[in-house]
Amino acid sequence: MRAMYMSDTASVIEIIGDHDEDDGEAAEAEFHDEGIEGQFVLVDGETVLGISGYREVDGCDGTYYLSWTYLDQEMRGNGLGKRMLNDVISRLKDIDARKLFVKVSDYQEDGENIYAAALGLYKSVGFIQEVVSEDFYDEGESQTILGLELKPQSQDIELADEKPVIRFNGLFEIAETEGAYTFEWIVEKSAGLFGKRSFSTEDLEIGINSIREQGGRKIFLTFPSNLVLIHRPLQAAGFKYVGQLKDYYEEGLHELHFSHDLEHFEAMN
Amino acid sequence: MIPIRDDNPQVAIPYVTYTIIGLNILAWTLVQGFGDEAALRASVCNYGLIPGDLFGSGLDQKACAPEGSLIGLFSSMFMHGGWAHIIGNLWFLWIFGDNVEDAMGSLRFSFFYILSGLFAAAAQIMSDPDSMIPMIGASGAIGGVMGAYIVLYPRVKVHLLVFIMVFRVPAFAMLAYWIGVQVLGGISSIGVTGGGTAFWAHVGGFAAGAILVLVFKDEELLLNHPYHGWKQQSDPADIWSDPSNRQ
Ligand SMILES: CC(C)(COP(=O)(O)OP(=O)(O)OC[C@H]1O[C@@H](n2cnc3c(N)ncnc32)[C@H](O)[C@@H]1OP(=O)(O)O)[C@@H](O)C(=O)NCCC(=O)NCCS
Repeated sequence: MRAMYMSDTASVIEIIGDHDEDDGEAAEAEFHDEGIEGQFVLVDGETVLGISGYREVDGCDGTYYLSWTYLDQEMRGNGLGKRMLNDVISRLKDIDARKLFVKVSDYQEDGENIYAAALGLYKSVGFIQEVVSEDFYDEGESQTILGLELKPQSQDIELADEKPVIRFNGLFEIAETEGAYTFEWIVEKSAGLFGKRSFSTEDLEIGINSIREQGGRKIFLTFPSNLVLIHRPLQAAGFKYVGQLKDYYEEGLHELHFSHDLEHFEAMN
Repeated sequence: MIPIRDDNPQVAIPYVTYTIIGLNILAWTLVQGFGDEAALRASVCNYGLIPGDLFGSGLDQKACAPEGSLIGLFSSMFMHGGWAHIIGNLWFLWIFGDNVEDAMGSLRFSFFYILSGLFAAAAQIMSDPDSMIPMIGASGAIGGVMGAYIVLYPRVKVHLLVFIMVFRVPAFAMLAYWIGVQVLGGISSIGVTGGGTAFWAHVGGFAAGAILVLVFKDEELLLNHPYHGWKQQSDPADIWSDPSNRQ
């Protein structure tokens, strides 16, 4: 396996698009927007057979997401996928990475889960299912996030509670989804003399109503696990707990996932 | 044994707690001259609360300025008898006042504080209506804050410094501690004509706070507060363990 070059882009997109056209387009956009650093290709001479890689999560400590991992159709089922993935994992260990996550959908085509092989591959190298978000990509299509510890993570780190002022400053539809929205938020370290109550149910409701007006289907929010003041307002605003990505931000600091179903009023007449 | 801090996050900025602390410091510096003996004597007489004066039952033996008596009901709450007295009182208010204010809202908290002080004074007056000993100190009102705190957040851990060791004890265990401290040395231990502990003021303030809080607390504000009540799980995230709160 070698680092991916710009000149590999076309063949890589072809391999991905072969499996699912939308994925091909999404991958092309991602290579364009975020570059190809951390992406690797499996080659036989000049021919690209497969792609894998990682992207670092900004603002976290040694946290990575697995990138598009695809093998040429002809080559599947011979252990090559596993070899690619293990190669990526050992490269990550070399750069002292701490945790690797991967997202996978349960999209069905002709009654078959087209990502079943991928899920099998991830589990075969030790990934563990951490969060399953129902109806994430679309009604009936969930997102599973699996995690792999690249270094042993301590179980009993207790981090101090934080109570920063959290301000919502926008909302957007999550990429690759139909009608799944999230809020943008920022943390203000100190409240300021006339700072208002942080993270109120009212603020959440403003966001919820605005997404409902835009025709959103569901809201997904994620927060670090040490913010003590978010839970009651989230619950009062109707959010449900989905699960957590363990040690996401740093050892002992998890990412909590919450979701909120928006009622549908379609097909009334 | 001194409480150092509590594991109880402050949700809103406690403007009234800060203001009360500021007023006490102002009174101590401007009126009481940092405890300068003459200024202290005069302030205790003029702004202290003298039960005998208040009801005229002390007849002609008014100890201090006769006109100060009614004002004393309020002004005595901002007077102190010495450095240890004022520092001790304001330290308690600093640590416990913010969360009580959080549970009521600032405006309601200011009424709550004054009312607790008045009930404390009433309890002391009833215990000895003819007393000519001036009563001073924020302890009665702060006793009310303590009473409210223990009713609101009985299980919150308070860090207590004992010599050089820090222990974390639940707030309700502070009840015994608070009463113990009050019995041993209280507000009016420095009075003009001798003095002692205004024991009934402390007990009255404490009891008044514990009862008044039931009327003054705002359930909606408490909703934003992760650690209140007896049944509350100490980890606020535990509310999600209820299956109906899960996806
Ligand atoms: C996922 C993919 C890279 C796997 O490559 P591969 O070379 O076929 O897989 P391997 O032969 O290395 O098998 C690795 C493990 O996955 C498992 N696996 C492979 N195909 C599977 C299938 N169809 N169903 C279930 N498990 C499967 C194998 O059992 C093996 O586990 P084991 O070592 O414990 O026996 C390849 O199938 C592919 O490109 N799939 C489509 C792309 C895709 O979905 N990518 C992920 C996008 S999120």
